[in-house]
Amino acid sequence: MAVVVEKEKEAVGTELKEVLVEPMNYIFGRIMEILTIIGLIAMFVPGIIYIITGKGYLSRDVVVKYWDLKASAFWEKVMGVKVFGYSWFLNHLSATDCLSIIGVCILAITPLISLFGAEIKADKKYKILIGILILEFLFAIFRPILMGH
Amino acid sequence: MIWWMWVLALFFMTLGIGIVAPIAGVGGGVLFTPLTMAFYPFSTDFIRGAGLVMAMTSALSSAPHFAKKGLANLRILAPVVVVSIIFSILGGIIGLWVTNAFPQGKSYIKIGLGLILFVVFLVYLFSKRVEFPEIRHIDPISEKLDIHGMWYEPSLGKVVEYKTTNLLYALPAFAGVGFIAGMFGLGAGWANVPVLNLVMGAPLKVATSTSMMIITINDAAACWVYMARGAMLAMIIVPSVLGITIGARIGARIAVKSRPKSIKYLVMAIMLFAAVMDIWKGLHGLGLAPPI
Repeated sequence: MAVVVEKEKEAVGTELKEVLVEPMNYIFGRIMEILTIIGLIAMFVPGIIYIITGKGYLSRDVVVKYWDLKASAFWEKVMGVKVFGYSWFLNHLSATDCLSIIGVCILAITPLISLFGAEIKADKKYKILIGILILEFLFAIFRPILMGH
Repeated sequence: MIWWMWVLALFFMTLGIGIVAPIAGVGGGVLFTPLTMAFYPFSTDFIRGAGLVMAMTSALSSAPHFAKKGLANLRILAPVVVVSIIFSILGGIIGLWVTNAFPQGKSYIKIGLGLILFVVFLVYLFSKRVEFPEIRHIDPISEKLDIHGMWYEPSLGKVVEYKTTNLLYALPAFAGVGFIAGMFGLGAGWANVPVLNLVMGAPLKVATSTSMMIITINDAAACWVYMARGAMLAMIIVPSVLGITIGARIGARIAVKSRPKSIKYLVMAIMLFAAVMDIWKGLHGLGLAPPI
């Protein structure tokens, strides 16, 4: 089996064993590890501030009043808008609740960036497969903007 | 109840789920979504949005470790997720369409989730896992894609090499799994692992680890659908994810030391109870059952 490998050292008893890991898997994991930490911090810090202070794009008291409504009815009732896309939080980045959703965005884009990293190290067949995956993922992100619903 | 009581209840519930899930060998999402639908006042849209973020975050936290050890494998993931990601997006779109287009949509979702939970219960009860499945024949597509991998197995003291098979049989299963994950806001490791292990012949550790990697991609794609419809509230997501993140760290440490069967049975009982509650509430919403 001709595999180009990264060597990850693993403690086994008192020895260090070399574990062979394919570079595309290794880089995928490494990027994911870093971005997940960034995403979690970006979500938790403003999110906790929002819950404690109650001040954000959506007032905490109003959210509590209508959080039993389905998403479309909630937005119509609270803001008088229909939500299609990401402007509802991207246009209000000074608000802590919207900043917290940016943290969710970082987490939700992490697999995509990890796939980009993996594609660089993948062999030809997997470059194609991962390329298709990237396109599908981009479709998931841009679908509301492209299709308008 | 006052608002902060709901937030605290959410935090402590997910903390508890985080602790018991690794001990029982189940994913957190499969408990969070049905329990929250059964006992909390939030809309099913916001619950499913939070469920997806929670399952995705849990998977994102553990998948890198497995990928760097060679246990989670992109060679297995890439061909199956090419199919499942589309169905995951579709599940998210249809799931939100059902609740927003029909006056009783949330009741349909609750009944559907309850029924899915019964299937999950049966899968946990009856499905057998094989540590190192024996593969006699490799299908031509898996052969062409050169699906293989290796990792160092401390219990055997050696590097284990493996291949997988039956890719064509697994693809429809992953399409269904992706759809359910997107539609109901679940992680769906309960379905990924048996397909990877029993159908494709991946060793159990590889199946579990690669399943985590699959969840990161499927659920992240579906997250964008929920985000684009405003079905995400920081007020619900933050305490849920915080609770499960802390709980999972505690649970993982306990699971290394002991995994009592009683916890598994307790979790299965909770799952069954949540399934009954969801179906009952759904039927009540349709006017077919009295209130609980």
